This record gives sequence, structure tokens and C-alpha cells, in this order.
Amino acid sequence: MTAIVKNDGEIDWGEKRYLIIDDFVGIRQLLRESLRNLGAKHIDQAASGGEGMMLLAKTRYDVVLCDYNLGDGKNGQQVLEEARIRNLILPSSVWLMVSAEKSVESVMGAAEHQPDAYIIKPITEGVLLTRLNRVWLKKQIFREIDQAYADKDYLRAARLCEEQIPVNPLHAIDLLRMKATLQLKAGDPLGARAVYRQVLEERDYNWARCGLAKILMHDGEVEDAQKMFQAVIADNRFYIDAFDQLAQAFQLQGKHEEAFDVLQKAAKLSPNSVPRQRTLGQTALKLENIPVAEKAFRKCIDIGEYSVAKTVDAYFGMARVCGKKNDTKEAIRLLNAAVHQFGGDQVTLRAKITEGLVYHETGDLRRARKSGDELEAMLAEEGRQRPDTATCLDMATLLFAVGVKEAPVGLLCYIARNNHDNVPLMDEVQKIFDKARMGDEGVELIRSSRKEAADMMNKGVLLWKSDRLGEAIDWMRVARHALPHNMRILFNSAQILISRLQQTGYVRELADEAIEVLMHVDAIAPGQPRFAQLMEQLAMLAPVSGVVAAAAASEYEAANGAVPDR
Amino acid sequence: MDDDLSQHYQGSPELLMFLASTVHDMKNSISVLSGTLEHLLAATPAAAPAAAAPAAAPAAPAAAQSGEPQYQQLGQMLYQTRRLNDSLIQLLALYKEVGKPGYPFDPTPHSVRELVEQVQGQARILLQSRGITLTTDFAPDAIWTFDEELVIGVLVHAINNAIRYTRDRIVLSVRVDGDHLELRVEDNGDGFPPAMLDAGAAANTTRARGAAVNFSNNSSGLGLYFSSEVARMHSHRQRHGSIALENGGQLGGGCFIVRLP
Repeated sequence: MTAIVKNDGEIDWGEKRYLIIDDFVGIRQLLRESLRNLGAKHIDQAASGGEGMMLLAKTRYDVVLCDYNLGDGKNGQQVLEEARIRNLILPSSVWLMVSAEKSVESVMGAAEHQPDAYIIKPITEGVLLTRLNRVWLKKQIFREIDQAYADKDYLRAARLCEEQIPVNPLHAIDLLRMKATLQLKAGDPLGARAVYRQVLEERDYNWARCGLAKILMHDGEVEDAQKMFQAVIADNRFYIDAFDQLAQAFQLQGKHEEAFDVLQKAAKLSPNSVPRQRTLGQTALKLENIPVAEKAFRKCIDIGEYSVAKTVDAYFGMARVCGKKNDTKEAIRLLNAAVHQFGGDQVTLRAKITEGLVYHETGDLRRARKSGDELEAMLAEEGRQRPDTATCLDMATLLFAVGVKEAPVGLLCYIARNNHDNVPLMDEVQKIFDKARMGDEGVELIRSSRKEAADMMNKGVLLWKSDRLGEAIDWMRVARHALPHNMRILFNSAQILISRLQQTGYVRELADEAIEVLMHVDAIAPGQPRFAQLMEQLAMLAPVSGVVAAAAASEYEAANGAVPDR
Repeated sequence: MDDDLSQHYQGSPELLMFLASTVHDMKNSISVLSGTLEHLLAATPAAAPAAAAPAAAPAAPAAAQSGEPQYQQLGQMLYQTRRLNDSLIQLLALYKEVGKPGYPFDPTPHSVRELVEQVQGQARILLQSRGITLTTDFAPDAIWTFDEELVIGVLVHAINNAIRYTRDRIVLSVRVDGDHLELRVEDNGDGFPPAMLDAGAAANTTRARGAAVNFSNNSSGLGLYFSSEVARMHSHRQRHGSIALENGGQLGGGCFIVRLP
């Protein structure tokens, strides 16, 4: 472990590579002049977001000075998001966002990709140097923590935060904030709660109030949480995160109209967020408020144009809106566009489901049935992966509605096997059976599916307990293949692999297998305490700290798409 | 909370976009103007002795006073540009309702040393060009929670203001006083006129918007209003920040004081 970072680093800014992105030539010259006065020799310039992206793709810059307002095309925030998501900037790089006035984005709370600092014009050399030094120092303090975070070794990362706090009083609050985030990731809401309370003793930071309220909300104290979110909003009208959370709190209480109101306000305050417009659109659709849904999905498609957060959900939502307006032709055009632009099995499948729903809603039962048959055929194809649970439920509902029987039963049993101990979800599955007038059969089907899963798991546990680890590993591979999304089976599988490694010492193949299983389970159900514990055990077995986990994680993401995070 | 949420956004979105892009343009122009002037001043002969000294050292007043008229004029231009920038910052803050929940207020922990360094850095060349010495006095390890951009704005404005009143010296001092942070900008001029002292006293007592200071008397009313609102936004356990104007202090001239909880 490297030494704890102290507050006395002197940095040579002369040898760094700089990129200035600003649409105004006068400002570019001025910034270049200032950087030269700091000794900088390697300075590139871009006059637009697009040009900036091209340069970012070619060179790994140490410092990027980017104007927020870039005229037409991408704005500074979108350039930053794309550069981060496409991995065009190193974790050590400094990103300074330059703006003409105090930016609302800086206080919104949960902007997903925050720059390292905001600077307000006019920029003087002194301020520039102070900010550069400050960000650099902070990056030093957080380097190991960020690495452990990226490796998903959350427990170690949280301990590192604790070690840094006493020696870095200036960053104590940031370190505590990170610690709480890590504890939540590691499935330790009680620990995170204590940290938020400790911070709030100090001062009423809005992020800590929101953090605490989120925990209360998940613990079922929804009304208290709602009041806290409202207090944050009363205090800071731009704290968008509080709006988004408040909407969720209302939704949990079944107050959909209130949730809708809050979402509308949030979208008005900060309209350029793809996920927010999507949630607004989907909520409006549920409430049958077609004009708002239409506006939200349209906006979502528009802003997605320049954003890496572009989502296919907006196209599906818009197609539903067209269906409600009896414009089947436009709906089908949108679905084709979605398949064309996004591609992939899941998108094709979901497009087909949406198509069926649109036909069904517009009363075209013949075409709806045809969509259903096509879906059934798609599902029957060899080796095709089942979509996520929500999509499976939608699909089963639709298939029953158009009169298909075998395929939806298969889907629902699949859900039951993969979630055999998730009681609320089982209730939902039963309701779909009831609606299809298959109540009694449903009870029996769910029972046998759950038993099947439990039997598979028990057999593995038995082999493990009787110390036949080799056989247990083989059996769990079979179980995983049959039930690829069953959390209990996945966790047990990883646990057995780790027990084996503890006996035999580190074996690369087995470790990679365990990591792959864990990454998968973290993707479908983030924030499980067992995930954090198993990752920590694995990290302790690895000969080189972190590296193995990082490699496996990136392999997993390359194969399966980014793990939903943060 | 719902009704005044939209109050701020009553104008048409097109108008708001237009205002935002105009502000953006103005800031760009002022940036280029003051940046160019600073570079010119640094390169002009009269500034040579001072520019050669380390950044933290006080400027040599003699250099500016004996300098060429061109140097003096550049200094005057920079001073006016900075005043323009101050006013723009304050007008913007007023437009965005500084002091109200709609303002993007962002208090975080900061090092007092970095605060002083940044204020000093912004004022350095202007002070040099006017032959004014700025000394600082602060506890280097102190940490306090405040909105950095706003507090820098208040202090830089106070220094620009002191440039007008001082003879040749300004002191910026920051100290922790019990449960407050006290920031003082003091000069060795003749002090504030009585009307200003009254306005300063009124700024903390009257809450009603616009009534806190008499905007009609002069432009310094805007600066005072801005500073008092910034101070008041900083609150902790029911205690709010405040400002004060006094005469006397360690240099015997005007003192501008901000206290933050």
C-alpha cells in the first residue's frame, strides 16, 4: 500500500498535455496564454464539442479545460459524459468545466458525470493554478480508493477512506461521503446511515440529507424520507436528486399523481436528462396522460441524439404513445427505427412485444396475435437468452392477452425458478396467471418451479457441506446453466469456488469463474452484502491486489455491456 | 414551495436562452479584455520591477507611480473592467435571486489559505498597476465551510472598492472567531462617508428585498446588497452570516467585515 497522501505536493504543470475546448477564439488564446505562463508546452485546441471528441479520441490529455456553452451540437457536459463513457480520459486526468456564471449543474446533487471542478469566467492564472493543484491533490488522496471501487472491493475502499480522514481534514467530508456510498454498495445501510448522521451533526449538507432519506425510504420509512426530500428542496430549489427521489417516495406510497407532479417540476428545472425524461414519460403513460408522455419521450429522443445516455426506451415509449393515439403506422415506423439504430436480440424482442401491445390496444387482434406467434417463435430459438424479469413479465402478459398459452407459461415458470425466494415477485406472477384464468394451475406451476430451484441449490450445498468440493463445483455449473439469474444459486456458486481456492491456493481459472459469477449477480441485484464479502475474500486470495478483479470486470463488461453502476 | 418554483421561470424559454447566451458573450468579452490588459501591464516597462518579484510579495508602489502615462492608463482600464465584471456578477446574482432557495448555493469545506491565494491572485496585477500594497494575515491551516465563488466575489469586490478609497495599503485578514469566520478588508484611506456606514448598518437589519439598501444613492448599494445576501445565505444552526462597515481598524481607514457561521 502506498503512503498516505499529505497536503504538501508540488506539481510540475509544464510537462502535462492540455486540451482547450471553447467556441470563442479569444478565450482559447487567453487560456493558452495562461497555460503557457504556467510552463505548459503541449496545448491542443478545439472550437466545438465534435472537434474536442476527435482530439480526445487521439490523445490522452492530462488536463481538459472545457467551456460548458459550446454553441450548436454537444455542450460541455455531453462532451465530458461521452469522454468518460468511451474511456477517452484517464482516471488521473483533470477536467475543468468553464462557465460564464455560477452553474446550476454544480449543485444538482446527482449529475452522473461531474467534472473535477467548475471555474467561472474570467479565469485568472492564480485561480487556474489553485484549482489545478487542488484537484490533483484530491485525486492523489482518492487514487487507491477509486481503484478499489473500480475493482468492486467496496469493503477495502471504505477502510481506505477511514485511513485518509484523520490526515486530510480538508477532504474529511468528501471522504465520509465516499465511505457512505461504499457502505451502501457493500450492502451495509446501517453503517452508511451512521456516517450520514455524523456528517449532519457537522452541517446540513444536502447530499447527506438525501443519502439518509434514501436509506429511510428503502427501510420502509417512506413518509419520513418524503419529508426530508421536501426539506432539501425547500432549502435548495436546484437539488434535482431530491426531486427524483421524492417522486420515487410518492410512487412507493401509491401516490402516482404526486410523483408525476414532482417529475414534471424536475424535468422543467433540468430538462436535458435522458433518464429523467424517460421516467416522466413512463409515469405519464401509466397515468394515461398522453400529451405529457409524448413530449417527454420526444425530448428524450432529441437529447439522446448527442448523448451517450441515448436509450431505446424512449422509442418504445413513443411507439406506445402513437398506439394510444391510434397512429399504428407511426408506431411501427418508430419500432423499426429503434431496431435499426440499437440492434441486438433484446431490442428486437422488446420491439416485437411493443408491437403486439400497440396492435392489441388499437383493437387489431389479428395482427396482435401474429406478433405473439412471432414472439413465441423467437423464444423457441436455440440458445437465445431470456430478457430481464420486467420484460419477461410484459411479454407473458401480452402473450396471454393475444391467446398464446405455452410460451407465457414457460416464461413465468422461468421467472419463478430464477427468483424462488422472492415472495412479492411470486405474487405478481400469480396475478398474471389469475388474469389469464389459470389461477389454480398457476399455483401448482409456481410451487413446482420453486421446488425445482430449491432442490438444485440444496444438492450443491449438501455436496459442499460433505466436503466434496470438486463435485459441488461441477453441480453448481449445471445449476447456473439451468437458472442463470437465481441470486441464491449464483452466490452459493461463488462461495463454493472461493472455498476451493482457500483449500488449494490461488488458481486463475477458478478465480475468474468466481468473479464472472459475482459480476453477473451484482449487475442483476446491486448492493448485496454477500457480494461485498465474497469480493473481499477473493481479493485477499489474489496474488496481485485488485488487478485480477479489474481485468475480469472489464472482460465481463465487454461481453455483456456495462454493469449498471452508481 | 410549488407556486414560487415557477416564478423564476415565468419568462419565455426563448427569452431565457437569449439572456443566458448574452451573459455568456459578455463574460467572454470581459475575460478577453481583462486578460489582455493584464498581459499588457505585465509586459509594460513600468511594471518590470514588480513583475520580477515573487507573486506573493507586495508590489513596489514606486514603480507604478514613476511609470509612464501609458502604464497608468492601462491600469485605469483594468480597474474599470474589473468594476464592470463585479457589477455583472452582482446583477446576475440579483437576477437569479441570490439569498433565495432558487439560487445555486454550494457551501463546501475550503482551506482559508486557498481562498486568500485566489483573491490575491485575482487582484495582484491591478494592485501593482495602482501602486497599492496588499498584505494578508490568516491561519494557514484553517478550514471553513462556505460557497467559494460567492465569497471570492465578495472579497474581490471589497478590494476593488478599497482601491478607490485607500492611500496605498490594503490588508486582507481572515481569522476564526469562536463559531464564526471573520474576513476583513481594511485600508489606510479616509474611511467610508457616513451615508455608506448607515447603508452598511441597514444591510443586515432589513430583510425585505430591495429595502435593505438604497439603490438610488449610488452603485455601491448593489455591492452592499450582494455582499449582505451572500453573508446571510451562509447559515448554520439558526445563525446567519452578516457584513459590517467601520472606520478605523488596523490601518485607520475603511474596514469591510464579513462574518460567516
